[in-house]
Amino acid sequence: MPAVALFGKPAAAPAQKVVGAVVTVIVGVLVLYPVVYLFQAAFATGDPNVRPPQSYGLDNFALLPNYSEIMLNTLAVSAAAALMALVFGFVIAWILTRTNVPMRGALEQLMAVPYYVTPLLGALAWSLLGSPESGFINQVWRALGAKEALFDVTGPIGIAWVMALFEGSVAFVMISAVMKSMDPSLEEASQVIGAGRFRTMVRVTLPLVAPGVLGAAIYVFAEMLGSFSAALVLGSPNRFYVITTAIYQLVSQYPPRLPLAAAMGVSLFVVMFAMIFLYRRLTRGRSFVTVSGKAFRPRVMDVGRFRWVLFAVCALYLIMSVFLPMATLALASIQRLATAFPHPSDFTLEHYRTAFSLNAVRSAMGNSLLLGFMTATIGIVLTGLVAWIIQRSRLPGRAVLEYIVMFPQAVPRLVFAFGMMWAWLVFPIPIYGTLWLLLIAYLTVFLPLGVRTISGVLVQLDKSLEECGEVCGASWGYRLRTITMPLLRPGLIAAWLLIFVASVRELGASILLMGPNSKVLTPAIVEAFFSSSSELTAAMALIQTVVVGLVMLLFLTISRRAARLGA
Amino acid sequence: MSKRGDHGFSRRLLLKGALAAATIPATARIASAQARKVTTVQGIQTAADVAKAEAEGEMLFYTHDSDPAGAAIVEAFSKDFPKIKASYLRAQNGALYAKLLAERSAGRFTVDAVQFSEVSTAIDFQKKGGYEHYESPQAAAYPADALGTPAGYFFFSGIDFVGIVYNSEKVPAAEAPKTWKDLLKPRWRNVISCKQSTSGMQFVQWFELKKIYGDDYWKEFGKLRPHAFDSRAQLFERLAKGEEQATILGEWAGYQLVKDRGAPVTFVAPEEGLPATPLATGIVSKAAHPEAARLFLDWLMSPKGQTLYQTNKFLYYPSLRKDAPPMPGGMKLADYKLLFPQSMAEYEKAHPTYVKEWNAMIGL
Repeated sequence: MPAVALFGKPAAAPAQKVVGAVVTVIVGVLVLYPVVYLFQAAFATGDPNVRPPQSYGLDNFALLPNYSEIMLNTLAVSAAAALMALVFGFVIAWILTRTNVPMRGALEQLMAVPYYVTPLLGALAWSLLGSPESGFINQVWRALGAKEALFDVTGPIGIAWVMALFEGSVAFVMISAVMKSMDPSLEEASQVIGAGRFRTMVRVTLPLVAPGVLGAAIYVFAEMLGSFSAALVLGSPNRFYVITTAIYQLVSQYPPRLPLAAAMGVSLFVVMFAMIFLYRRLTRGRSFVTVSGKAFRPRVMDVGRFRWVLFAVCALYLIMSVFLPMATLALASIQRLATAFPHPSDFTLEHYRTAFSLNAVRSAMGNSLLLGFMTATIGIVLTGLVAWIIQRSRLPGRAVLEYIVMFPQAVPRLVFAFGMMWAWLVFPIPIYGTLWLLLIAYLTVFLPLGVRTISGVLVQLDKSLEECGEVCGASWGYRLRTITMPLLRPGLIAAWLLIFVASVRELGASILLMGPNSKVLTPAIVEAFFSSSSELTAAMALIQTVVVGLVMLLFLTISRRAARLGA
Repeated sequence: MSKRGDHGFSRRLLLKGALAAATIPATARIASAQARKVTTVQGIQTAADVAKAEAEGEMLFYTHDSDPAGAAIVEAFSKDFPKIKASYLRAQNGALYAKLLAERSAGRFTVDAVQFSEVSTAIDFQKKGGYEHYESPQAAAYPADALGTPAGYFFFSGIDFVGIVYNSEKVPAAEAPKTWKDLLKPRWRNVISCKQSTSGMQFVQWFELKKIYGDDYWKEFGKLRPHAFDSRAQLFERLAKGEEQATILGEWAGYQLVKDRGAPVTFVAPEEGLPATPLATGIVSKAAHPEAARLFLDWLMSPKGQTLYQTNKFLYYPSLRKDAPPMPGGMKLADYKLLFPQSMAEYEKAHPTYVKEWNAMIGL
């Protein structure tokens, strides 16, 4: 888009319409095209292996009541995990963005680590730590003289705990992106008129970030519904199952019962849409504007000595979600068969040798990083425009777009991947089996992530800032580039990192869509857990975590330097 | 460990009858009937045109097996035939088959050879005309039952079989199980494991032990509240660490792998027999690289390929070759009495019942 001079002709509306239409078409194709195939499968009867289906009916939906107990399990564990994640996320985001807690920068970097660890790892680490017989903590506990295990992580609460720690850390990133764009003068005003810090947090901060938190809540709850690893690793030994473990059974048995899995998946659309409807009702007609024409600089509150208490809260959380799991995995990865008290002869580097010797892994790592970079970069442009259309434009049908965007989040990835496979296999342009297909798949499944993150920040921007530009005659593109985007910067960076990491650790869609020359790493890691060993899995996953961590550091350093130069 | 010297695989009429019912595309048979010239390259007898195979330059193998297993196979093949760039793609059996069929129905034929973990998948694929008929010169080294019916569509590239495995630190010698029935004792309540219903091997065991002991066997077993796993590694590691004390689905390959790592586990071969299931490998029809696929199949069937299957720690599948050397640990496949489903029709018909009963038993 050419940078039209500030006093040029105000020709904004047509450009908006064109871009809006193009974005809507892209999103429609990405999302609805596979969804059509999912519905086709959900209503298919007859031989599940014959495509296209021979006949249609409601048979698959009629079987769903058999899974009502599992459905209830899923809702309960997802709600518990989402709640925990939001509480952790909100409290820590508040501490790190609003108070002068010591070592803020380092803590903030560390907070992102659980998210870029492949979810299986958290579950694996906690199963090594908290299994009743062999869990390291329980072994140490017994060595201290106890008879019984200290705790058992394989129950529903343990599962929700692990899900909250590892899959819920996205809540922190989303909420803190919102808090960073908040004008602190409102909080200061509250304190000036005599409200305490806690009261200010509950009565001022929380309502101001409500849309961001609610958006994060919907997203996180959906993420929990689709969560697979914790329930797989921790739940099955304890005979506790959720919808994704049930779907996995249906998909991986012979013959695979894809139609039933698809019916289960599309039924979850109803749950998701009810939640988005609720979200829209709750946020309608309210203003959440905190970034206006008035200048502000994010300032932090001086909480005095209380800051060390807050530091301890963050440190405790990080010990649970980062240090303990990572140390456990590191210890496991250098043993032949992991235990809490290894004998010197049990140590080996064999798992690392195996991991590095796998050609597939070496090329897969490169592919994963390349895809992560491309998905994140294209993704923020696409999701940024979608978020802008939904929140800001007056284009017709923008509400529908909000629903469409959430489709990929509503269905467990394992099922959505089949829709994408069927769709893109018959697509006339031969992208099947290439990295392009994975790129398309990632852009599709991470639409909700990007849109939620950016929307949370976008609703805080005062429209009058853009309108001011409009009055001055700046074109829409020019306004986006010079007003909206700079103000959105923290949200955009958060979204980029989230999408990058989500792509690198993507599992459900990759398993089915990668080709022999377009392999990615996470499926190999998960597969090592299935058929090789936890120790090899730990070694591979640690390698992945270190590489991803380095790339993220690099990105943050570059973006900071660029920001400084730009300033 | 119990031994049976005279109940080898070849005496079993595996999968007869039902296989004969599989339809065979006539054109494929005619094409393959034309005698091919047999040559010996890299010590391997092959009827493939090696020059053509090398000109094709590539070969793609689909497998249900693990990544390290797939990597080991294509690497070893490429080492013998460096001009052919072999690659693999893995997915769990059910998903792999769904992917393969979806690709074929969309007119995409990129894969050259495929290995399934279950014979029923292979038979279904054969019925759909998915395999290319090829009479390998290596076939002579195999019992007729290991070559499919009729021969030439797929062969049994390895065997997966199960006994009982228990943790010898947690289970005193006096309590060690010797027969399948020993596992029904209340002693094993809450400390015994099995696999989820997705496991083909678990289905074979359910089917075979039901035939021997009747329906009650699994009802009794269910009362022990067994822990069921999807992951073989998780099942064996937990057993090795004493979270469970015994498993009814002690896959030999999984046992060997965890034993190598120093785990205190013992394998028991009950004398009633060991449920077993073969892996089925064949060349895919309309393959993109048909000569390379033939060469790969001959290589896989040859002593070279089969030695890799027997000894690579990510594979550990005993070979059905008549001249196969002993497995790691010294036993030969012929030392065990293996139990294969005899009637494929009955076996396939039982599957829905199995899934239902098994899921109910493990609390799913």
